[in-house]
Amino acid sequence: MNSMHDAGSSRSFRWWHETVIGALLVIVLLVAGWLVPGFLKPQSQLLLSRQLWEFAILALGMTLIIITGGIDLSVGSTMGLSAVAFGGVHAASGSLVAASLACLATGLCCGAVNGALVSQLRLHPLIVTLATFAAYRGIAEGWSQGHSYSRFGDDFSNLARGSWLGVPLPGTFFFVMAIGFAVFLAKTPNGRFLHAIGHNERAAKFSGIAVDRIRFWLYTMSGLLAGLASLIYVARFDTAKADFGKGFELDVITAVVLGGTSIYGGRGNILGTILGLLLIHETRMFVSRYWGSDELRSIVIGCLLIVAVLAYQLVSRRRRS
Amino acid sequence: MSRSQTPTIGHDSNTVRLSVRFARLIRHREVGLLLLITLTSVVVGIKDIHFLSFEVWRDILVRCAPTAIVACGVMLVVVTGEIDISVGSLMALLAAVMGRMISENELDLSCWIGIPATLCLGTLIGVCTGSLVSLGRVPSIIVTLGLLTALRGLTTLMMGGENIDRLPEGLTQLAKQGLFGVPISILTAVGVIGLTSVLIHHIPLGRRLYALGSSAESARMAGLSEVRLKLFVFGYTGFLTALATIVDVPRLPKIESGIGSEFELLVVTCVVVGGVAISGGQGRLIGVLLAVVLMTMIRPVLTFIDIGEAGEKWTRAIQGMFILLAVVTDSFFSRRQRGSEKEHAA
Repeated sequence: MNSMHDAGSSRSFRWWHETVIGALLVIVLLVAGWLVPGFLKPQSQLLLSRQLWEFAILALGMTLIIITGGIDLSVGSTMGLSAVAFGGVHAASGSLVAASLACLATGLCCGAVNGALVSQLRLHPLIVTLATFAAYRGIAEGWSQGHSYSRFGDDFSNLARGSWLGVPLPGTFFFVMAIGFAVFLAKTPNGRFLHAIGHNERAAKFSGIAVDRIRFWLYTMSGLLAGLASLIYVARFDTAKADFGKGFELDVITAVVLGGTSIYGGRGNILGTILGLLLIHETRMFVSRYWGSDELRSIVIGCLLIVAVLAYQLVSRRRRS
Repeated sequence: MSRSQTPTIGHDSNTVRLSVRFARLIRHREVGLLLLITLTSVVVGIKDIHFLSFEVWRDILVRCAPTAIVACGVMLVVVTGEIDISVGSLMALLAAVMGRMISENELDLSCWIGIPATLCLGTLIGVCTGSLVSLGRVPSIIVTLGLLTALRGLTTLMMGGENIDRLPEGLTQLAKQGLFGVPISILTAVGVIGLTSVLIHHIPLGRRLYALGSSAESARMAGLSEVRLKLFVFGYTGFLTALATIVDVPRLPKIESGIGSEFELLVVTCVVVGGVAISGGQGRLIGVLLAVVLMTMIRPVLTFIDIGEAGEKWTRAIQGMFILLAVVTDSFFSRRQRGSEKEHAA
């Protein structure tokens, strides 16, 4: 990623944001380790990390989408719908494979609908995903009729609870994907095109980039990732309900933006997103461990988001002038 | 209207003329929305004549009121090219603060202190949002996203897991029965709509907001203060949210920390369905108001056509489909004009 040369930017050190977020992360970890005994122990970190992976997987797709200047508010609802699809198919057929496929396929379809609306009808992503945010959740509620499905067997829950070489399975999965996404974003032409689209969509179009096709696949992929995240979530709780993933979209966007991806598009990378995710995750875990309060947690996260972006804006403006 | 709303259509061949004419009519989003509202009312009215009764529509309008009040503010925010998705959480916080101050079980202050304080707090938070956006240059979606989370947490913390009830008798009476038989929330909504309309159409400020939204660069060159205008729109939205809280919340039996959740989405949806361009600079108040009525109607309509217990659960799906339909139809009919439209959406 060091080889990236942005024509428009003249900053000499381009990892500034990542450094700040990394430093913040270290501070949070140090404070947490000091105030909460045993917080930094590998075991407790591994235990806590269970709550991270679904977010992390969603954040990968969201990073790419936000880099192109778009947004996907429907990921949480897609998760709910996929979970219900999983439960419904499992109840009907009793097959875990069929249910998992249904779960992923539902996510894929949800994403494809978003993608088609955004790329073919040229609707603003915010509007499209705001509409499908309501629609997918509604379909999930209507389909499941408030019913929750559960007991899918231990083998299945081990998918989310088990570990490989000491790393939880979803975590291994996430890291493999994260590397794939990072390479795609930094080293492949299509990945670079995402930045181009985010910088100036019109110019990208005129220079021959298939903007619509890329957009379509981006949102489809985001839907598929939501299906995947839903699968992990279902496995972790051994339950499938329509309200799964509620509010996830906001947390995921928070993590991505905190990681230095510009909400206007054109700037961002996977490393930043991972740091953003970790910062939010550790802050959360620390706050809820230390004060034992979930409310405080959301206050801290909300303020963190605003303050981080504000600080970045203030400093980068000074650097520019 | 002084804004260049009339579309110029390039095609002039006979074959497309008719459809273009139709498209032009539908392009006035208000016409489409009005048609949809009338059609739905008539169809439901035929099935059950009670739907067209005074009581039902009074109830629908009462439900519309808070959304309409806040939508007036959010619409102006969107017109300037920004967005505000924190109104739901702000409403909850204001409701909690107001409840704490005036409830007979809590501080039991006079309404004359509690209500102005709530209004001030709302405006203050709005102005803070505005200054973060304009002075701090933090994108509005980020600021309001942060506030959405933070204010909700603050509210839950303040309420401490308990509900607030026993608001002063006078206030609940006013909210339920209103003045001269008209619920106070409807009166307030009418006032706010009038005020906003005057602001948009008769005061230079309104025109400046549209100017800022269509091109921030030109607006700056024309000597408009971006900072001041943005402070105003966010402050106004905060004020209106406080107003909506004051007139609507006493109607409820008790104040819970979950008040106003997803309210921001409803408001933004109404603004968008009402034809306000998300990239700023375009949109009319009447469209937004019709969208508010349409979106609020859905639930009563579903009750009236009696879809049963199972159907009840589909309400949100139908709502979502409705939004999708509105947005897709609109894009379908306005596509012809796309060619001439500016494409530099900021």
